[in-house]
Parts: sequence; structure tokens; C-alpha cells
Amino acid sequence: MDIEEGEILGLLGPNGAGKTTTILMLATVIKPSEGTAIVGEYDVRSHPEKVRGLLGIAFQEPKMLWVSTPWDVINWHAKVCGLSTSDRKQRVKQILDAVDMWDARNKNIHALSGGMRKRVEVAKVLVQRPKVAIVDEPTAQIDIVGKHKIWNMLLELRDEGSTIILATNELYEADRLSDRVGILHRGKLLVCGTPKELKDSILGGDLVDVESGQSIPAQTVTDLKSLKEVVDVMQVKPTSLRLYLNKVEEVVPQIVSLSSKGGVPISSIRMSEPSLDDVFAHYTGLTIEQAQKDEG
Amino acid sequence: MIERDVRLFFQYKFLVIMRAIWFVSQIALFGVIAANMVSVPDYFRYYVGGLSVMTLYSTAIFIGFDIYEEAEHGVFEYLLSLPVSRKQLVVGRSIGGGLRAFIYVGPLVAVSLFVIGGINPINFVIALFALFLFSFGVSGMSIAIAVSIKSSDRFDILMGVLDALIVRLSTTMYPLAIIQKTNPLYGWTAGLNPLSYAADLFRWSTGVEDIAQNVQNPLLPLLGIVIFFGLFTFLGITIYERLIEGGGWR
Repeated sequence: MDIEEGEILGLLGPNGAGKTTTILMLATVIKPSEGTAIVGEYDVRSHPEKVRGLLGIAFQEPKMLWVSTPWDVINWHAKVCGLSTSDRKQRVKQILDAVDMWDARNKNIHALSGGMRKRVEVAKVLVQRPKVAIVDEPTAQIDIVGKHKIWNMLLELRDEGSTIILATNELYEADRLSDRVGILHRGKLLVCGTPKELKDSILGGDLVDVESGQSIPAQTVTDLKSLKEVVDVMQVKPTSLRLYLNKVEEVVPQIVSLSSKGGVPISSIRMSEPSLDDVFAHYTGLTIEQAQKDEG
Repeated sequence: MIERDVRLFFQYKFLVIMRAIWFVSQIALFGVIAANMVSVPDYFRYYVGGLSVMTLYSTAIFIGFDIYEEAEHGVFEYLLSLPVSRKQLVVGRSIGGGLRAFIYVGPLVAVSLFVIGGINPINFVIALFALFLFSFGVSGMSIAIAVSIKSSDRFDILMGVLDALIVRLSTTMYPLAIIQKTNPLYGWTAGLNPLSYAADLFRWSTGVEDIAQNVQNPLLPLLGIVIFFGLFTFLGITIYERLIEGGGWR
């Protein structure tokens, strides 16, 4: 598996799939039992210190002692990561402000909600701006407004040149942010590609409902079935069809053309693409919920 | 790392206050009563000198408990993912653990000096330097043991036993001559105990050492402390690197 420089790679999978273990190995916190990984040009086994110099990580569970405050946590992190004093103070303020933690900066960590602690955890990576940023379920426990803010900040981080590894079990998050998505299940990488490639890889994953003002003749159904992207055609009513197909954007013009050739006026066409839920279900044979139950 | 550990310790306000109360109680209660009980002349001042070193030891040990606290909160994984080498991490922690103990004991030493009386300025500077190294050495020892044991309960029990042995088999509370008279093996052990070196040097710098005459040549305990510091700093780094790297703490 290769991760391109400057991309966001979503690691998708249910709890226990191996996302966090992969991340901890990349961060040189644990050693791989076999195999290795290269970060930048450094091997995690032989040059762990060099690897850590390139990485920043926001953990799934916020990692901070209860006696600290958000300001202490972020300021100290920035200091250890080598930000100069003047840069640091300004940047820590900017990031705490951006994740809505500025007002709570002097509160004890113990007094913060789970969502607030999570914001502080993500702020570590945002303040550091590492070459390779790893974020593990960055918006878990965070409200929807906060989620959008963090998503935008991660996209900005990517645009500034960081490569981001996003581990998540939220399919919408992976779909919205990732340039490519890898699906992990039971410690194995099942598939990796752009969200579009993955969705297109599901045979018959796209759905098109065609409505006509009159009965659709059998010949038109046969013609539609003969299109190579069409997997199946179901006559729902005499005047409506449901097509299971791939690459919906390429097939719709052909549907319109065939219908018009057969003298069938189309009153409506409704298209829907598969979601990453469908992709996950396709590759694992399970829905996310089933997979989570399975692992639990 | 050093700054973090120092600041962290002083955020445990309850612990800091309780330790200070313990220290004052030891002087005001145990020291006073025991001085009336034993035949060693001026034992009260002798005991107060030793008490400062005992407090320094028990405060520097606390870094080991921090390691378990961090493991429990997952902070350990975070520290291990930072862009610093394992050596920097453990040396920073060792110095941080030692320094905070030294800073904490500072006011308590001032109380001791007030109780004991005058000091010899040059000797006192030498003794402070030795206590500084002693504090780092204890901190390194605590880190090495904490990382090796991997269980906070066991660490707690072991440190309790170690404290009993190290403190009791030292000259912090009784003169070396009396220990040797009681049991030569005890005397031999106390003579090699870094706590004895630290306590004797501290008393030497205040003039109280004349009471017990433990120190014939101050260079010997000073050398002992340097060896103790070097050994446990090295051990701390080696064990930390070997056991921690790659998830060995789990």
C-alpha cells in the first residue's frame, strides 16, 4: 500500500479492524510483528527517530493528564515539536480559537467534556503542521458544527502540503475528506482507491429509475440489457424500469438515446450512486453495524 | 520534557502539601521525641540533616508513579510518538524528576538549616551539587524500576520495601559507628548506600557531621554519588530504550 505525498488517505473499518494498530506502527509506538513501513524515506524499524520527526498524531482517545489545561497541552506540544516562542504563542492561540477551545483554555482537562478533549487532541496536529499527519477518528464525540470546522481545517492542512492519514469508521467523513480510501477488515487491507473508483468497482452498484408516460416495450428492455455497463433491468411497472448498472454518468445518455429510438418518451430519470457503506458492505459482506457487532 | 515534569509535579498540590506536612511532623514530633530517647549527643540536629535527604529520595522516586499514571491515561503512547529520541525522553524525564525533587526540597532544606544552625558555604555548595546528582540518580533508578516492573501495584509495594531497606540501612537516621556496632553487615551496607553518602555530605556541609564522624574524607561519598548517578542514568536509558521501544511497555 502506498500513500501519495499531499493526499488524504482514509483508513476505513469497524472497531478492531486494525486502524489504530496500523497508526501506532507508523508512529513507531509499537513494532510491526512482521513487514515494515517507510515514512518519507525512512523505515519505521531501522530509523524510528527520523520517522517521528516527520509525523504528528492525534490519537483516538485524547492523551493528556487530567492536571493539565488545553493551553498547557497545546503549548507544550508545539514547544516539543520545535515551534519558536513567538510563532508558538500566536499559533496556539489561533488553533485553540479555531477549534472553539480558546475560552476553555485554562480549564482543567478533568472538567472538559469528551468532545472538548477530542478538540484539544486534534489541535495538537493542527498546531504542529507535520509533514505526515495521522488523525484517528478526529471528530468522534464532536457536534456537527465542530465536525465541519475540523474537516475544513484538515483539508487546509492537506492544502498546505501535509499528507494526512485519516482513520475513521464514519463513512461520510471518509467520503468527504479522503482523496483515497483503504478498507481494513480484521487486520487486512481489502481494497484501496479513490471513493469514486471504489464505488464504481461495485458491479451494478449504481441505480437508475426510469419513468415513462407509456408502456415500455420488451425490445427496449432487451436493448437496455445489452449495454455492457448494465448489470440488470427490472420492470417495476409497465411504465417504469429499475436499472442496476456501473458508471451511471456514461450510461444515462445511452438510456435516453435507446428510449427515444424505441419511441418511449421518458418522463423522469432518477439516479443514485452507491455510498461507501455499499462499498464496505460489498467488500466485507457486512454492514458497518454488523461488522462492529461481529468484532464486539 | 524537563519543564513538563517539573510543572506537573507542582500541580499535584495535595501531594506537595502533604509531603511538607510529613516533613514538618517528622522534625517537630519524631525528631524531638527521639532526641530525648537516644544517647547520641545532639541527635535532633543529626536527624534533621538526614531527614532532608530522605525527603529528597522519596520525592525523586515519585517520577516512577508518574510513568504509571501516564500509561493509565495513554499519555505514554503520546510521549513515545513525539519527535524526540528515546534517550532525550528518558534523560529529560530523569533530570525533570530529579530537578523537581530538588526544587521541592529547597524550602525544606532551608527549614533544616534553620534548625541545624550555621553552614560552611564552600562545603554547602559541594553538598548541593552532590544532592543534585543524587536526586537525578534516584529519579533514573525509579524510571528503570517502573519500566521493568510494568505494574503500578507491584511498583508501589517494591518501592515501599526498597524505601524501608535503603533508608533504614543508611546513616540518615543513625551514625555509622552505631550501625556497625549493631551488625557489621548492616554497617558494611550502610557504608555503600548512596543515601548515606548524600546525608553525610549534607551534614558535613552544616558542621553536624562532627556529631557522628561518618565522613573521614568528603571525596569518597562525593565519588559514590557520582557513580550512583552515572550508573542509574545509564541503566535508566538502557532499560527504557530496550523495554519501551516498539511497544514493550504493554
